[in-house]
Amino acid sequence: MDFLINIAGGFAVAFTPWNLVYAFAGVMMGTAVGVLPGLGSPAAVALLLPVTYGMDATSAVIMVSGIFYGSQYGGSTTSILLNIPGEPGSVVTCLDGYQMARQGRAGRALGMAAMGSFIGATISILLMSMVAPGLADFALMFGPAEYSALMLLGLLMAVYIGGDSILKGLLMMALGFILAMVGLDPVFGAPRFTFGLTRLLDGIDFVAAGMGLFGIAEVLCNLEAPEVREVYKASLKGLLPTLKDWQRSWAAVLRGSGIGFFIGMIPGGGATISSFVAYAVEKRSSRHPEEFGKGAIEGVAAPESANNAAAQSSFIPLLTLGIPGNLTIAMIFVALMIHGIQPGPMLLVEHPKLFWGVIASMYIGNIMLLALNLPLIGIWVRLLKVPYHYMAVTIIIICIIGAYSIRNSAFDIGVMMVFGIGGYLLRKGGFPAAPLVLTMILAEILERSAQQALKVSGGDLWIFIEKPISAILLAICVLVILLPLVKWAWKRFFVIQQR
Amino acid sequence: MQNRGDIIGSAVLIFIGIGVVIGSIRLHVGTLSMPQPGFFPLVGGLLLIGLSLILLVQGWLGRGTAPGQPREAFGEWHRPLILVVSLSIYTAVLEAFGYVLPTIAIAIVILRVLGVTSWKALILTSVGLSVGTYYLFGRIMGIELPAGVLSFLA
Repeated sequence: MDFLINIAGGFAVAFTPWNLVYAFAGVMMGTAVGVLPGLGSPAAVALLLPVTYGMDATSAVIMVSGIFYGSQYGGSTTSILLNIPGEPGSVVTCLDGYQMARQGRAGRALGMAAMGSFIGATISILLMSMVAPGLADFALMFGPAEYSALMLLGLLMAVYIGGDSILKGLLMMALGFILAMVGLDPVFGAPRFTFGLTRLLDGIDFVAAGMGLFGIAEVLCNLEAPEVREVYKASLKGLLPTLKDWQRSWAAVLRGSGIGFFIGMIPGGGATISSFVAYAVEKRSSRHPEEFGKGAIEGVAAPESANNAAAQSSFIPLLTLGIPGNLTIAMIFVALMIHGIQPGPMLLVEHPKLFWGVIASMYIGNIMLLALNLPLIGIWVRLLKVPYHYMAVTIIIICIIGAYSIRNSAFDIGVMMVFGIGGYLLRKGGFPAAPLVLTMILAEILERSAQQALKVSGGDLWIFIEKPISAILLAICVLVILLPLVKWAWKRFFVIQQR
Repeated sequence: MQNRGDIIGSAVLIFIGIGVVIGSIRLHVGTLSMPQPGFFPLVGGLLLIGLSLILLVQGWLGRGTAPGQPREAFGEWHRPLILVVSLSIYTAVLEAFGYVLPTIAIAIVILRVLGVTSWKALILTSVGLSVGTYYLFGRIMGIELPAGVLSFLA
């Protein structure tokens, strides 16, 4: 009953004219971002953060959230039509989607991708509406010791589960930790690593850093090898899947939705991993696994429902625990902070309209995406014909304006440029950006929570072990760190013994 | 085969780590149970040095790190270098010259680097984007962009 009252309140917020406009703008921009390779959703959200300064917090989050889950819809378009994933979560859709396009079934693939995405997102939002309040209630029991253990676990999971090199991920975590220290110490107020620059007393601005790491770095990489953009020339017929397509795919959609929901909730999980897992599960459970990779429609249905379900459920750690699990959610975390809202368990208590308004707008946004994505497919395909040089110069100019608008200072353009060069070099070296950004955002909270816990205990470190929740979280941290070592030792010694 | 990228990367990170450790000690470290401003940066710096040393050894021995993060090879790197230099000059002159003129200039540079050769396209696009964004963001959305030498038009 509470759930119905809460969601009704959420719809009352989401259905205001301006929030409908922002939701629409967000999902349309998100689809465009998903369609266009060369601009990911983290960059798009980072670029648009300065635009949200004048909005109220709920509207800002509605719009930038729309960009995130909208991009999952758009990413499948280029995967299917051109074998180029527009978003990381649509990589595996290329395997069967592109083959379907080559066989003249592009329309049905696009239709199944859109509908599977909608079903996955809807199931995920429904489950999220039920699970999130309970999780937020549980998180209210967290004190500073539990919070610091949780932050640490979230960061470690983002490194270990993220799929990148663990060593390089940990290195980026350490670097992010150091960069977060720039500015005034949160407890003592002493300036740290400011090199005498007063502009650094407030620390490194996340918006400038994000635009540099994603927007500028992406353009720098693309400048090296300007792409030759393929154009889809065949006409698109029959955008609706047939009854036979549904008979083959309905179970894949449901399984993908469930997989996406659970994996999306885990920091570091997200759309990409859930789409791969859903595809692998589908192939393994299929009666015709040999058809996968050759145009099996379940090979489109499963990953697309999974990636959209994961995109929605990845909001759960942010809205209930205050932990961003991926880069785009980290930018949404920054959006909340810019508007003076501290993400975490108190968000539901202090800002219920924002919490339920955002969830309700996700229902509305997904309906908009389903209704408009397929009729507008011609426009999305035409968007791919826009030469990259126009996109690049527009991205740079928007980044410049966004960085300057932070404090009306060219200094922040300089910060953005430094992070742009840094992001470019990190990509060349194979260093993942996600742990760097996530740690930069969370390190101050982690440090402050740890200091508060030590103040409460009078400097006694045992507080982190005496508190049961903190002890369990730290034990999981140790397990997460040790698991790869255990696996390595098992392979090395058990396999050697077997030989 | 030695992994040059990892060797150079880890060397840079070790250098940064050493700088951070020195800076942290100057800030006063305190103890584990009573940390001072330098404590957490020291932890970060030591972690950075330790992990970078592992990467350095791996790179030296030619053992690549996990295949999850593909490395991108350097392509025509003079193009990003041109953009970086242009952006640096842009940042230095923005407040003196205002938004419009430097933005026209940098837009021409970016388009030229990306292979646009027609002067008509270069001028029309760069002027259109600069003036258009100045009015859209500056006048309509209320973001204060520097007027600089064109302030007499305001």
